[in-house]
Amino acid sequence: MKQFLSFIIKEARHIVRDKRTMLILFVMPVVLMLLFGFAITTDVKNVRTIVVTSQMDHLTQQVVERLSTSEYFIITKSVSTPQEAERLIRHQKADLAIVFAADFASKRSGLQFIVDGADPNMAQQWINYATGVITQASVGTVNTKMLYNPQMKSAYNFVPAIMGMLLMLICAMMTSISIVREKEKGTMEVLLVSPARPLMVIIAKAVPYLVLAFLILITILLMARYVLDVPLAGAIGWIIFVSIIYILLALSLGLLISNIAKTQLVALLLSAMVLLMPVVMLSGMLFPIESMPTILQWVAAIIPPRYFISAMRKLMIMGVGIREVAQEVIILIAMTAFFLTVALAKFNKRLE
Amino acid sequence: MTLKYLIQKEFLQIRRNAFLPRLIIAFPIVIMCVIPWVMSMEVKNIKVDIVDNDRSTLSQQLVHRIEASTYFIFNGQKPTYQSALKEIEEGKADIVLVIPPNYGKNEMLGKDSQVLIAANAVNGTKGSMGAAYLSQIVTSHVQPSMEAIRSGVSTLLLYNKHQNYKLFMIPALFAIVMMLMTGFLPTLNIVGEKEAGTIEQINVTPVSKWSFILAKLIPYWMIALFVITVSLLLAWIVYGITSAGSIGLIYLLAMLLALFFSSFGLIVSNYSDTMQQAIFVMWFFVVCIMLLSGLFTPTRSMPSWAYLTTYINPMHYFIDAIRTVFIRGGGFYDIAHQVFALLGIGLFMGGWAVQSYKKNN
Amino acid sequence: MNVIEVRNISKSYGKVKALDDVSFSVGKGEIFGLIGPDGAGKTSMYRILCTLLLPDNGIAKVDGFDTVKQMNEIRRRVGYMPGRFSLYQDLTVQENLEFFATLFGTTIEEGYDSIKAIYSQIERFRDRKAGALSGGMKQKLALSCALVHQPSVLFLDEPTTGVDPVSRKELWEMLLMLKERDITIVASTPYLDEVRCCERVAFLHRGKIQGIDTPERILHQFADIFNPPGLSHAKETEAKEENVIEVSHLVKAFGNFHAVDDISFNVKRGEIFGFLGANGAGKTTAMHMLTGLNQPTSGTGRVAGYDIRTEYEQIKRHIGYMSQKFSLYEDLTVAENIRLFAGIYGMKDAEISRKTDELLERMQFTEHKNTLVASLPLGWKQKLAFSVSIFHEPSVVFLDEPTGGVDPATRRQFWELIYEAAGRGITVFVTTHYMDEAEYCDRISIMVDGKISAIGTPDELKQQFHQPDMDHVFTYLARQATRKSD
Repeated sequence: MKQFLSFIIKEARHIVRDKRTMLILFVMPVVLMLLFGFAITTDVKNVRTIVVTSQMDHLTQQVVERLSTSEYFIITKSVSTPQEAERLIRHQKADLAIVFAADFASKRSGLQFIVDGADPNMAQQWINYATGVITQASVGTVNTKMLYNPQMKSAYNFVPAIMGMLLMLICAMMTSISIVREKEKGTMEVLLVSPARPLMVIIAKAVPYLVLAFLILITILLMARYVLDVPLAGAIGWIIFVSIIYILLALSLGLLISNIAKTQLVALLLSAMVLLMPVVMLSGMLFPIESMPTILQWVAAIIPPRYFISAMRKLMIMGVGIREVAQEVIILIAMTAFFLTVALAKFNKRLE
Repeated sequence: MTLKYLIQKEFLQIRRNAFLPRLIIAFPIVIMCVIPWVMSMEVKNIKVDIVDNDRSTLSQQLVHRIEASTYFIFNGQKPTYQSALKEIEEGKADIVLVIPPNYGKNEMLGKDSQVLIAANAVNGTKGSMGAAYLSQIVTSHVQPSMEAIRSGVSTLLLYNKHQNYKLFMIPALFAIVMMLMTGFLPTLNIVGEKEAGTIEQINVTPVSKWSFILAKLIPYWMIALFVITVSLLLAWIVYGITSAGSIGLIYLLAMLLALFFSSFGLIVSNYSDTMQQAIFVMWFFVVCIMLLSGLFTPTRSMPSWAYLTTYINPMHYFIDAIRTVFIRGGGFYDIAHQVFALLGIGLFMGGWAVQSYKKNN
Repeated sequence: MNVIEVRNISKSYGKVKALDDVSFSVGKGEIFGLIGPDGAGKTSMYRILCTLLLPDNGIAKVDGFDTVKQMNEIRRRVGYMPGRFSLYQDLTVQENLEFFATLFGTTIEEGYDSIKAIYSQIERFRDRKAGALSGGMKQKLALSCALVHQPSVLFLDEPTTGVDPVSRKELWEMLLMLKERDITIVASTPYLDEVRCCERVAFLHRGKIQGIDTPERILHQFADIFNPPGLSHAKETEAKEENVIEVSHLVKAFGNFHAVDDISFNVKRGEIFGFLGANGAGKTTAMHMLTGLNQPTSGTGRVAGYDIRTEYEQIKRHIGYMSQKFSLYEDLTVAENIRLFAGIYGMKDAEISRKTDELLERMQFTEHKNTLVASLPLGWKQKLAFSVSIFHEPSVVFLDEPTGGVDPATRRQFWELIYEAAGRGITVFVTTHYMDEAEYCDRISIMVDGKISAIGTPDELKQQFHQPDMDHVFTYLARQATRKSD
């Protein structure tokens, strides 16, 4: 027990002594949360709009007024010919031009949008929003209710994703590097020959990172709740329970990498490029899985964070009970068991 | 002259590494072949549950219209709102449409009867786009006049006429591949020599700081050249997408970006004591630069404090300029200010990289 | 009863046979030497005995337990100090020791007596990070960490590389004490005086045991390897009076600690100057200032006519340097390394390739022209590194413990290279812990506690301090150090 403790203390010292890494580890979640909470948004906003009209009659005036008071559009200029508008868009001076036909007032129709379609999604949304504003889509017949996220904040979607990514990064990358470093520097030889059991060495290595991951988890949850106003709708106990399973999963992955990699460089690149890229791209954190081609959906099915992120979205944001995420949790537990068994079975108790 | 020998050494070391050459070749290929399929931000396959409390002809027609829509996946009718909500909680449905009792009768009488659309908005974009489309269908179903107004609107799309999301994302992928290849590899370089102890041997030689740093940078520019060529070729072969503007300008932009990232990597490397530290610091900055550059999300939607950072964000200049050239076919005049901004930032970082390398304490 | 039984052990890595049918046994409480040149298979043997490697053939038993089947039993009983024992650089001296003590189920207090002789010398740095210690002090700390517990069998793979002669003596006194307690010790070493401390030695060469006997007989039997005839150095009669290195009142302080404390000396052109001192006396720091890696805190110095404070980049043009740690690029070939460093000093392609061929031929190394440096034996690497450091014909070459861990025969070849260079007029500034090498120098200085406490030719020093040889001179002076005990 004393051995175990001194091991943990030693490992903790390694972590704490490296001030810069420590700083990054705690600044990273905070900055990411702030960026995703406040800066990064796909909302339609401040679209540079040009109005093209030959005669500014009352109705057109009204419409233009409505457009410019909405937060979506900024009317940057009013020109008289569509050619002029197109030239401005081509020179990147505007994103959208709305062309009013000469008889717009009488017929209440005859609109044309000239739009910079480089980003098809945004282009489509600008048109939708502009049509909405111009036609004053009647709200009478439809009552739209945004469940779970009435203010449509992107933070709701991203907080679970950030958790999934950071916990994976810290646990898998840092554990693997710390083990490989001992191999590279030769201290592993001494540890192996010592009376300490190899299993104990490994567990003692994992504990400080588990604690660190847990601290970061708490930081993220507190920030989500009090800075980003994301409700923690579900039972906090279950949220932490599922996160701990996920942390264990990430630790086993780190252990697995440390078995394969011989040098720090390879461990770093393995965890950064081979582990982190799929996690960011295929876990559904940024890009919805259901829009991917079937083959990639299959690949995504074996990416562990996918289940964690999905479970967290349900637990944290939708506030469902543990039974609704039973499937995700069972898959996570099974994956943890699998990776842990493989990693421990492959752990070299000798050199080579 | 000494530069030649130093550069040769860097290349030999990269080639001798068991991992790096494979990474340099495989990485752009994998990214270019897989990621465009992943990155479609298109909202597709939204699953709709309908609770029809009316069961009149009109409501049946509405259900059929939704069933027929290619945009939605009709998930089935549910007896109650509660049971439909349950499906959302289990992740089996994304949107519920509730048709009130007497919907058909009320519409005949010209009275408003409210249809409820409840969307899972955890993913805000998906929820709102789905809800918007669904309410369009509902409105036009009862108010054919609205349909008329909409059909009177025509849209002229400049560029990307086929609304191809891949065309939009491919320049962003160039940026990502360049960033990872020319940013992370140099980050590990000098700190690696520090850990191996060879840097001391170099420090007692008369080699100048400039040639040492330049010799470290040039190989990564070569790699950048290779990587951007492979990426352009793959875009053409796999997706049939080619640049609308001059290829020369694309190379110019890519090299300027490589200048920035390779210098930045060396700066981080100079200040770091261990590889782990270097990679973490680099990763942090790269994530921030990437998220705030407009690679994935429009910069104009950002709050003003965040928008201000784009003035010093080279990635922002790069992505703006390369989209102008690649998608819109712009010429040098259209991207001049981005080119000069990139050049300025790149030279500044290059100078800093030399400055931060210390031969003598 | 034999504590260690090795029967017909073989081990290959790919095509390379590291161990070939090795058999020996070690009795309880014996000090057994496992000696041989670099690459002889010693480390593989240690690793097999420590259960870190599986042998291809044969049986090895430690304390009666089989190394293949009873791994855990053995690991509970042995202590092992690998050749490149690396400490945790970011932990302090005390933290390192504490960790290893607990790891072996003991405490510093309990084990203190068995490490006192060595640990007391570094104890005053106990709050310093291990990474900030000088090379020799690191080695002492590593020794302390390995010896803090008392296993029944102790394996020491070249434990004294880089350790000064006084401390080496103290270490062996400690090992003799352990022997009194019936601890079995297997050790390897390149130092002959240490070989003589063993009761029996096995000489391992190219993976085969060449002989097992008392040290004297083995050293006699393989005299061509262990005891090459001494070098005679025809001293140039007209020593040029021009000073290549001039140092006066040089100080380097880190906070309150004066690593180099007011030293002054001159070195003449063509001289071989031995710069001796105990571990941590400040040799490497002084050398870093002379080579322009570090700025002095105060004092002045000129190397090759340039000021070390302001003209250090010009100095670098006129010197060669070979550091403690082998510092050629391991992932480049021999020829590529030469080409790189020659190119840095502005030599032309044609000249480089001509001189490279010449050099390799002279060193009988032509067949290894395209071999990766990483795969060369240590002795070869060191010779190569030296040749590279004088390839551009500098006026001074600085050598920081160039022969650490190298066997006697190779060291002797190394010194032939040094004499050759000196003969061409290159001034050689060298640090070493081998006192036989000190005798090879024209003039030496001995540094104690950051100050130069003696300077002169070896004969002058022996007379001045009334000692029979350099070893005794060094021990006499180094024992007066006060830094260790305050």
